[in-house]
Amino acid sequence: MYRNTMAIKKKSARLGAVSVPAEILFHIIIGGFGLMCFIPFIFTIIISFTSEKSIAVNGFSFFPEEWSLNAYKYLFERARQVAFSTVSSVISTSVGTVFSVLICVLYSYAMFRKDYKLRQFITFFSFFTMMFGGGLTATYMVSKNLLGLYNNYWALIVPLLVNPFNFIIMRTFYQSSVPDALIESAFIDGSGEYRTLFQIVLPISLPGIATIALFNMIAYWNEWFIGMLYIDKSKLMPLQLLLVKMQQEAEFVAQNSGKIGSISAHMGPVPTESLRMALVVIIVIPIAFAYPFFQRYIISGLTIGAVKG
Amino acid sequence: MMSKTKRVLALVLTVLMAISMLAACGEPQPSSTSTTPSTSASASPSSSADPGTTSNVPAEKVTIKWMVIGSNVTDDSDVMAAIEEYLADKINIKLEMIWGTWAAADSERLLTSLNAGDPIDIYFTCSWTPNEYSAMARRGAFVRLDDPNNNLLEKYAPGLFESLHPDLARAAVTDGAAGKGIYAIPTYKEVGQQYTWDLNMTLLKKYGFTVDDITNYYEFGPILEKVKQGEGKDFYPLNAEPFVMERMANSNDLVDAESLLAFYFDPVDPSKSEAVIKARYLTPEFEKYCKKTREYFLAGYINPAAANGQTMGPARTAAQDAAAYAIGTEVYYPGYEYQTGPKRGIEVVYKPAQAGIISTTSARGSMNGISTASKNPDRALQFLYLLNTDPKLFTMLGYGLEGVHYAKFSDDEVIRNPEAQAVYNPWLAGLGKLTQLPRIKGQAPWSVFEDFNKACKGTPILGFAFDTTPVKDQYAALVNVRKEFADALTAGAVDPDTELPKFIEKLKANGMEEVLAEANRQLEEWKAAQ
Repeated sequence: MYRNTMAIKKKSARLGAVSVPAEILFHIIIGGFGLMCFIPFIFTIIISFTSEKSIAVNGFSFFPEEWSLNAYKYLFERARQVAFSTVSSVISTSVGTVFSVLICVLYSYAMFRKDYKLRQFITFFSFFTMMFGGGLTATYMVSKNLLGLYNNYWALIVPLLVNPFNFIIMRTFYQSSVPDALIESAFIDGSGEYRTLFQIVLPISLPGIATIALFNMIAYWNEWFIGMLYIDKSKLMPLQLLLVKMQQEAEFVAQNSGKIGSISAHMGPVPTESLRMALVVIIVIPIAFAYPFFQRYIISGLTIGAVKG
Repeated sequence: MMSKTKRVLALVLTVLMAISMLAACGEPQPSSTSTTPSTSASASPSSSADPGTTSNVPAEKVTIKWMVIGSNVTDDSDVMAAIEEYLADKINIKLEMIWGTWAAADSERLLTSLNAGDPIDIYFTCSWTPNEYSAMARRGAFVRLDDPNNNLLEKYAPGLFESLHPDLARAAVTDGAAGKGIYAIPTYKEVGQQYTWDLNMTLLKKYGFTVDDITNYYEFGPILEKVKQGEGKDFYPLNAEPFVMERMANSNDLVDAESLLAFYFDPVDPSKSEAVIKARYLTPEFEKYCKKTREYFLAGYINPAAANGQTMGPARTAAQDAAAYAIGTEVYYPGYEYQTGPKRGIEVVYKPAQAGIISTTSARGSMNGISTASKNPDRALQFLYLLNTDPKLFTMLGYGLEGVHYAKFSDDEVIRNPEAQAVYNPWLAGLGKLTQLPRIKGQAPWSVFEDFNKACKGTPILGFAFDTTPVKDQYAALVNVRKEFADALTAGAVDPDTELPKFIEKLKANGMEEVLAEANRQLEEWKAAQ
């Protein structure tokens, strides 16, 4: 009893607290929004466990008539390819994230430092690539023939290393959280450039770095187009590319049967709806686990901003 | 100071852009001169002798890279090693396959490779993917094989074209960068296409119908009604791909990939058809079809899922597998009933809606061209020739290794190993002459296939391909209009009395008539050049 009243007192005394009805309302709104994000995923999981027959007869349903493990069985039969693809995705994502964050931190730091002579030049240099691209064929030729990005992990990593948009976010983050005076005082105390960056600036920029890391990680994990262009070895094929191919194969059959004669007679089994959903589940799970890890920093980043404001 | 930096920067960027533009233009140039030196140089030592004989094995081993689509191959190392060994004392090449799947991404990938001039020797090409044969030949992506100055076909593939179906050879001729000629080797598969009614005879017999009762789309009404009454409300007796059904009902064929134009053929003898192209959706025949289909749809003969491009395919396949249909549509493959009957557990009969036709689309259904970027076009052609004439080589590439990927059942029948097939399953019809393969147990004998090919007849416009470039803006707009209306109309899901006039009006407003006129103008030009 005593405890309860204490808890209520504590609650009402909380800084910036709103009235209980308002709080309930907000919880409902936010909870509803959360559900809207969460339900499709639950739905995907349910579809992946639905039998093909139920899908064909009743369409998608939260309560399928008949459950089935067939999709996962099929994936298990193709375990070799799925395993290769998972390894490829994990390696390119982890190595790629580390390198791209490093590049981002360094480049945007140079963009941030007002006393750096070429600051405007390098800002424009990265910004320019956001506006204009060389086109697919030119990019492809440079990457493949000049840089040798073909059938190796670098082909999956290098094309996404530099992201001007992230540079700009990171520079803005430095601008809002690292005061010039801090850098000046570090110099007065005899700190060199590297020490200033890695021991003074970086520790207070962790929330920004975490955000960029999360962005990059998702970008690497979700990338399939680059894999399609530069990877011909099935051992290196990323998971997302596998999914895209399965998806497109099913579409192809629907669109082209009857256009080119009897194509279906020559084909093997087409990936089914539930199989595709099963692959989605496999793809989403690892990246879903990465979120809570980064979330801590992102939330603390928000509070830092508020305090400083 | 600052402005100077900027100026230098601007200069550097301009140069960079100029270079990248030049690189982009470095696509295969439309000239035969770029390939002639290399071919004539390497061809001279072997040109006098017969290819494929052991007396004339080139000393230097080269790698031939071949990019295909439609295959499901994740591990080909053992097969490639066996092929290399087998070819060592024949043409001494190492084969490297780049296996694409049916995914659109893989066709795009192939086109990118072709555009960038990758060092790949052979590419799959055909009438229905982005790397469309006539367009690629026009751009100079492929080596002309019957070039009068350097006739590679005569040198390295004597008699190959003569052994093919005459219409395949006829359709392979196109107006390319190096003149009118042959730019790719067609694959010998089923040459024509025949639209057939897929009949569930088990069910039809139950209701007292015979094959002869199924005649004409416009007279299906009473049959469907009786089946529907007997089988209940949730049974859809007409299991159709609507856009195929429209062609079957009215005896017309595709002219362009996006199905805006139609070629109406004579259902009895397609070779006697009138050589004129019509706008598919503006014809009175289309209106007649829409009205009839609407009637069937309202009576509940057609699954509403057929009106949606996304759900149509799965719904049709599911109904087929469950044998839950009376009449369906099928583009026939010779001997298909041998496979589908046992699979569905019913008696399946494919009743032709018309005579089989050979159109440009079907005759160019699968080809392989030699890239102008290839350093060894002569060796690549030697390989393709061998693949089309040596059953042992083709079986190895198509089925894999005996004892690993398949087992011999009898002299000419094999059983494929499903486990090995899961990692090695090429699209056979994309590779080479199909009839060289031993039959898979249970498959129709090749004689069925040959009979089918003999029975198909070429249309008067066989060999003509519509080039959409002169009207590409209108064409793109029309494709969008078609996507908006055609699916629902052809499935009968909307009322043609209100929707069809809207559709027609919108087509006309977006230049349907101009596109039609352009197509017929090109056709006249093509006819004059024959």
